[in-house]
Amino acid sequence: MVSFWEILSPSFLLFPALLGSVILALVCPLVGAHLMLRRRMFLGLTLPQIAACGVACTFWLYHALGLDHGSGGERLLAMAGSLVFTLAGMGLLAYLDRHATGSPEGRLAAAYALASALTILFIVFNPAGEVEILNLLKGEVISLSKEELKLLAIVYGVVYLGLVLFRREFLLNSFDRDLSFLLTGGSVQWNFWLYVLCGFSIAVGVIMAGPLLVFGFMVLPPLAARTLARGMGWFLGLSSLIGIAIAVLGFFISVRLDLPLGPTDVAFGCVVIFAVYLVQAIWRRGHGPASLLALIIVLGSGCAVQRSPAPLDLALLGQSAIWLVPVRNGTDSDLRLPSTNPLRSLAEMAGKIAPDSRLTVMDLLRDSLQRELQQRQVKVDFAEARDRRMQSSSIAGDGAAANARAANLTGWLWLTEIRRWHSDGRSPLRAVVDMQLLRIADGSVHWQRQFSKTVAPSGAARLDELSADAVKAIMRDIFGA
Amino acid sequence: MSQVAPLVSLRAANLGYGGVAVLRDVDLDIAAGDLIAMAGPNGAGKTTIFRTILGFIPTISGLLVRNCALNEFGYVPQSSALDSTFPITAREVVAMGGFGRLKPYERLPAGEKQRLDAVLEQVGLAQLASRSFFSLSGGQRQRMLIARALMVGPKILILDEPLSGVDPESQKAISDLLVKLNREEGKAIFFSSHDLRMVRSVTDKILRVDGGKAAWQEASTEQHPW
Repeated sequence: MVSFWEILSPSFLLFPALLGSVILALVCPLVGAHLMLRRRMFLGLTLPQIAACGVACTFWLYHALGLDHGSGGERLLAMAGSLVFTLAGMGLLAYLDRHATGSPEGRLAAAYALASALTILFIVFNPAGEVEILNLLKGEVISLSKEELKLLAIVYGVVYLGLVLFRREFLLNSFDRDLSFLLTGGSVQWNFWLYVLCGFSIAVGVIMAGPLLVFGFMVLPPLAARTLARGMGWFLGLSSLIGIAIAVLGFFISVRLDLPLGPTDVAFGCVVIFAVYLVQAIWRRGHGPASLLALIIVLGSGCAVQRSPAPLDLALLGQSAIWLVPVRNGTDSDLRLPSTNPLRSLAEMAGKIAPDSRLTVMDLLRDSLQRELQQRQVKVDFAEARDRRMQSSSIAGDGAAANARAANLTGWLWLTEIRRWHSDGRSPLRAVVDMQLLRIADGSVHWQRQFSKTVAPSGAARLDELSADAVKAIMRDIFGA
Repeated sequence: MSQVAPLVSLRAANLGYGGVAVLRDVDLDIAAGDLIAMAGPNGAGKTTIFRTILGFIPTISGLLVRNCALNEFGYVPQSSALDSTFPITAREVVAMGGFGRLKPYERLPAGEKQRLDAVLEQVGLAQLASRSFFSLSGGQRQRMLIARALMVGPKILILDEPLSGVDPESQKAISDLLVKLNREEGKAIFFSSHDLRMVRSVTDKILRVDGGKAAWQEASTEQHPW
């Protein structure tokens, strides 16, 4: 299990994803705070959807014009579509705000519905690359590459600087447009620049992290900060701070419980808002210090730093042998790894070699375990080599030790079961593996653990490389560094 | 009307929105040191005159002359027109009056901070400066907005219904403040109200706005004009 301090270490495998989340969480709440002050919070929902529509439309056009798909520039293309649609949508909504009658909320709701519908239709029209487009629309901050992280940092850095340097002008224009007109010569220019900054942050954020996370970071932190802040400086600063807290703790929960990051952050953000309102309500009833203490204890107990379980102590096993039972595959997939040898691939295509002779994740796991144990001078062997009845056993079942005794095995039995092992190549590999060490003599469990790993692809990583990384991480957890 | 050169003049001006006149043939001079009240029922066009003078809307026809820059107008809107969503302190609201003198990225200089403290003292609410603006009473908010207008360093103060929606004690405090600013600092003040009795306690120079016309009210008229 990953500890809280581990995820903060730059050497942590998913540290770039955490950095991306923190950058989003620093800037998006500032943008959201300005939208909230202008009573345009729903722009934070509608614009990301319009950006998503832009991505889908661009890909559809790209294919309809007969251009090559999958040439590597997908993100750039998506970014262009997202940006054009966001700025155009924002301009149209601003024009309608000034010139049309009717409710602005109604217009935003209609725009959201239209953008959602068009997004789906554009994806349906596009016969190629549907999965890729859906992946881009989902946005996986966890799979950010270094180049994407740099781009995110540059764009959000500019937006942040703009919002901080011109905060006085933006605030004055939001609070009292008439005074802004008198003192700064025009409120329209400040409106324009504020919406340009919003547009850029949303368009880029949607591609990097998806509409849900962008909207969540724009809305939830300012809502929580609004009730706590006494002053605009506090409000803006607190919005960003709460955003960062949600990003870091949400990331920890996501990694720890193997949950998708976006929904975890948003759900955790809602919990934070609920807690803030609850504490404030209790505070107003005169139980301030007690409620604050209770909140700290509750949050502290939930997010307390838990020490990683100690590595397996092999010295306690004595001189007895460990029998490795074939790894059980509990997933729907055959977990066969792609071949790295082009000649072998050709041979497979020609029917000279059967594809099922390729290495599997199960082989990778058991070979690594064997190697690690042997390096530690532990006597280790494959159970089925001794007795063919010793095939893979479920950890939930209780017959493994009995079978081993029937096969005249003595010592220890190592059971491994893969619960989850999934990646579509672009998104991170998520793996859940159960392991158990049984004493054959009485079937008692000497040691057991569940390993939950998320491995982000760096660049165009293949499943075999991701799987090897995940196996290494599991071995590190078992045997220590 | 006034012997000094007017800061603002309207001559035979038709005022309104989208080409539709709300007021016709408006003649008005506001000179330095003037204390002018504008009285009339709701919807008569008082705010239209303010918005035209401040350049928010253009005149339909006629002449508008301003002899001072727009950033020399101290405008006090009705506090109910401001959005209570903002978690803003009274001090932050008053400080906005000085934004016209600062570069966008410049921190509030020491001179501006002293000026801020001075205007807060002037309206008698320095002790409430750190409170949330929207937690103040209507009268206190109005005085804070006057402090914000003073922070501009204005030649002319324009106040939209500064006496409405506040308790009698606050009405008295605000009236006294306006008179003091006019007499002691020579500020030109132009304010609107629909409370003629209260207006008379402040000034006898009253512009009556009603029925699409703006006319000077005779000082001897005791009867409510509408």
